[in-house]
Amino acid sequence: MTASIPGSVLIVGAGLAGFQLAATLRRSGYDGEIEILGAEPHRPYDRPPLSKEFLTGTMSAHDLGLDDPGAPLQARWSLGAPAAALDPATLTVRTSTGATHRAEAVVLATGCTPRIPAGMGPAGADSVGGGAAGLPEGAFVLGCLDDAVALRQARVAGARVAVLGGGFIALEAAATAVARQAAEVTLVAPESLPLAGRIGAEAAHALRELHLRHGVRFAPPARVHGLSADAGGRLRAVRLQHADGARAELRADIAICGLGAAPTTGWLAGTGLAFDGAGRILCDAAGRTSLPGVWAAGDCANWEPSGPVPVPRPAGGHWQDAVDHATVIGAALLGSGPPALPPPYFWSEQHGVRLQAAGHLIGHPRLSAGGIETADLLLVYELDGQETGILGMDRPREVTRWRRGRARRPAVVAA
Amino acid sequence: MRRVCALNDLEPGEGLRIDDTSPPIAVFLTEEGTVHAIDDTCTHQDASLAAGWVEDCRVECPLHASAFSLLTGEADQPPARRPVRVHRAEVHDGEVWVEVSTAAPNLPPGVTLP
Repeated sequence: MTASIPGSVLIVGAGLAGFQLAATLRRSGYDGEIEILGAEPHRPYDRPPLSKEFLTGTMSAHDLGLDDPGAPLQARWSLGAPAAALDPATLTVRTSTGATHRAEAVVLATGCTPRIPAGMGPAGADSVGGGAAGLPEGAFVLGCLDDAVALRQARVAGARVAVLGGGFIALEAAATAVARQAAEVTLVAPESLPLAGRIGAEAAHALRELHLRHGVRFAPPARVHGLSADAGGRLRAVRLQHADGARAELRADIAICGLGAAPTTGWLAGTGLAFDGAGRILCDAAGRTSLPGVWAAGDCANWEPSGPVPVPRPAGGHWQDAVDHATVIGAALLGSGPPALPPPYFWSEQHGVRLQAAGHLIGHPRLSAGGIETADLLLVYELDGQETGILGMDRPREVTRWRRGRARRPAVVAA
Repeated sequence: MRRVCALNDLEPGEGLRIDDTSPPIAVFLTEEGTVHAIDDTCTHQDASLAAGWVEDCRVECPLHASAFSLLTGEADQPPARRPVRVHRAEVHDGEVWVEVSTAAPNLPPGVTLP
């Protein structure tokens, strides 16, 4: 099946996936109109440093920019208004201001919105950039630049910090709070071994030990039941509910919510798009949705698994997924056979240790080098005698060789 | 020009970090047999490009996968957006010689010259 190249492309979402798609199209010589809609007022910026280098002050907001100021992306920008409705028949998107935008192809790249503790903030999780609204003073989320600016301005040094959640952003935020000289940092997660479900018990154990060595405390497994504020509206404590039903309070001056995120797809209800249980838009292996002319990329999309290990990717996608989605959709829009989606790849940095993982972290991990105590381990994951994935702590050379030895870098489409 | 290493010190497809320059440089021998020298530090974050993956005359940063051209120093995708410096490299009698660029290096945030 061949489709003609669209004369115009409307990208809904000005994050990494949206930016990278536009950049891929331009680099491939596409000279049609590209319009990018963004919910935030900011030009595309890089989010991973928001829980790390941006908070410690190593990186500035200017450093986060994805575009090259010397050779800016040629696109039309409509920023500061979230998308509100899609008309699939005419491929028209209406934003919160009522303005309409139309193109011959629409790519949905609206990302996700951080979850906040139950009973807090505005109803529904689909308000982008307003995640902290309704939270007591001293409570923060980490979804967008404005969230991170608020947390950066907070007086973390000497404070009692509670980090809520057991995912990568929570663990990074805990490590960053230590670096910012918090008096105490306590991680509250429902799991006794955070991230074990994602990276396996061995790697999760190594991470936990790393955090313990740096003074991070792990509260007994508990769910966040709510936040308590004093009469002045300032955070006083985090209300917890443990697995046995017992309730407790954790006194805190600052709470950082790392409770995961929900795909920003609520505005697409009723369009005929198909969604998975997490609310992500279901796509084929090249990013096509169930609607003609509509594609989806990044955290808001769930692509049909493909490749040598066709297992679904967990919700709450990674940086590299957004880049890879954009590369594949770019090729498909330009009519060339889209390359296969490369195997997953992600990284994190905690307490100065760089964690990288490639492939699928399933099956049985085998310790290939290093150790847990030294935070320099290299784990190779095997299933039925086949290597499916690798995880390294401060092992950039080994992880890169494993990854690139299996999947060549997708070539840029010819102009 | 200055001698930085012997050709025998290099392995095809691998990089070698040269530490006695400031900032450090990375020397590569490609599978095709050509020798290249660029700044070793990724322009996005403090990572050693000598540990990266060499393919099609580009080196992919081992951390965040921006790939830099060994010929022009340009990065092909985020998160890096600024090029690394390219240094002229030549091989004479089995020795690798490099003329370090006089341009200002594009060091990542948080990294400064000693």
